Amino acid sequence: MISCRDFISELGNLLDEDVASEIREQLEAHLAHCSTCQVLYDSTRKTLRIVTESGSFEYPEPISEPLVNKVMDRIRK
Amino acid sequence: MGFLPEVNDALSAESLTTLKRNFGLAPKVYRAQMLRPDLVDAQVQMMDRLLFSKGALSRVQKEFILLVVSAENNNSYFPALHCQTLQFLGVKPEHSQQVVIDHREANLSDSDVVLLDFARKLASSPHSFTDSDVESLRKSNFNDEQILEAVLMVGLTQLFNCIQMGLGTEPDFKPRIIFPVKEVNPPVASERQILEPEFSGDFVSDDPDFEIVERVRNGETDAFEQLVRKHGRRVYRSLLGIVGSPEEAEDALQDVFFKAFQHLPHFEGRSRFSTWLVRIAINTAQQRVRSRKEFDRLDEEDEEFRPRNIQAWTETPEDFYSREELRRLVEKEVMKLPVKYRVALMLRDLEELPTEEAAASLGLSIPAMKARVLRGRLMLRESMVQYFSKAGAGKP
Repeated sequence: MISCRDFISELGNLLDEDVASEIREQLEAHLAHCSTCQVLYDSTRKTLRIVTESGSFEYPEPISEPLVNKVMDRIRK
Repeated sequence: MGFLPEVNDALSAESLTTLKRNFGLAPKVYRAQMLRPDLVDAQVQMMDRLLFSKGALSRVQKEFILLVVSAENNNSYFPALHCQTLQFLGVKPEHSQQVVIDHREANLSDSDVVLLDFARKLASSPHSFTDSDVESLRKSNFNDEQILEAVLMVGLTQLFNCIQMGLGTEPDFKPRIIFPVKEVNPPVASERQILEPEFSGDFVSDDPDFEIVERVRNGETDAFEQLVRKHGRRVYRSLLGIVGSPEEAEDALQDVFFKAFQHLPHFEGRSRFSTWLVRIAINTAQQRVRSRKEFDRLDEEDEEFRPRNIQAWTETPEDFYSREELRRLVEKEVMKLPVKYRVALMLRDLEELPTEEAAASLGLSIPAMKARVLRGRLMLRESMVQYFSKAGAGKP
């Protein structure tokens, strides 16, 4: 049986859906009986979803004309 | 004291004479090898024939090759020793030091700049050295004998640098100027670590920017604009993740593209262009933050992180906030993360780079990258509990 610590160390891979099936089974078995890790997994997954969909630090696309021009002017000098 | 015990056997009379005649002393790097005096003699002879004796290149040209190659290796022992030797030859210490720092800014003739560019490239990227590099010397009117001597001087310097660093030999006298590692060849040496992140040591064959990069390298400067447009956003985000202010990120963005353009001839395609660019961005941002003394080092060890605040969240916590509120909230909390976790998280979860590419951009191993991203996510989760837990949802 894996510990909470083992679960947390695999949490990143689980969120990235990058775990081998036998490990996934062990992680799911742990989740089935550990309410702390359930909350942790659920809230981290939601954090990730919120962050990814938030559009934070977005730069207006396309990159602003004056900025492109400044870069190119400096290069052509 | 070096790394091996010193043996106080005398140098052979012949070696001692050669060394004293040229250095005024028997440098420690030779004395440190007295377990094998026969090999010291062989090295001194090689040095005498190639560097001290009259050849096809001038003595000063050969000494300068030794300086730039040593600088390329961040070796300060040999520049200290040979700047002194050059002074005997009538070269002012300031001039020699400038060659060490950046030979292109040292008022050398065009052909000497080409010669030292050649030496530096051979020292730093021997695997990408081609006949076109040799051709560049021919175009500057160097003959084959001179080219051979240049190559040998690079090789000899590498040998001596390696011996001195391997034996940990202390300088023979207090250097006039101690060149801190990061100040040697500032534009390239400090970035050299970032210029060629490697995925696996193989060349990346599927770089979508390959064609444009090649066009720029072949002199079509205007094509670079496409790269600026295409990658501006990613560069901006990487910068903002470290510097924190939009104005400074915009300012730094110009530096990043300018540096990328300048160093494009050194880009060897061992990573994607975009990875290389992000790495320049991160390096540039770090330098800016470091100069503000706020930087917590990106290479510090990660200690274990224990999540607290285990409270259940609502099913769709984002429903309690408007899109704009969510964006601001995420930005605010992300900016509170220590920079190393922030950058890792931004590259993976906002920029959505694959782990391998993000790791290469940061110069991290894949396990180290994963550990940082997870730590960033867990810390961010921690700070989000106040907004999204069942108890806290909807409260600003």
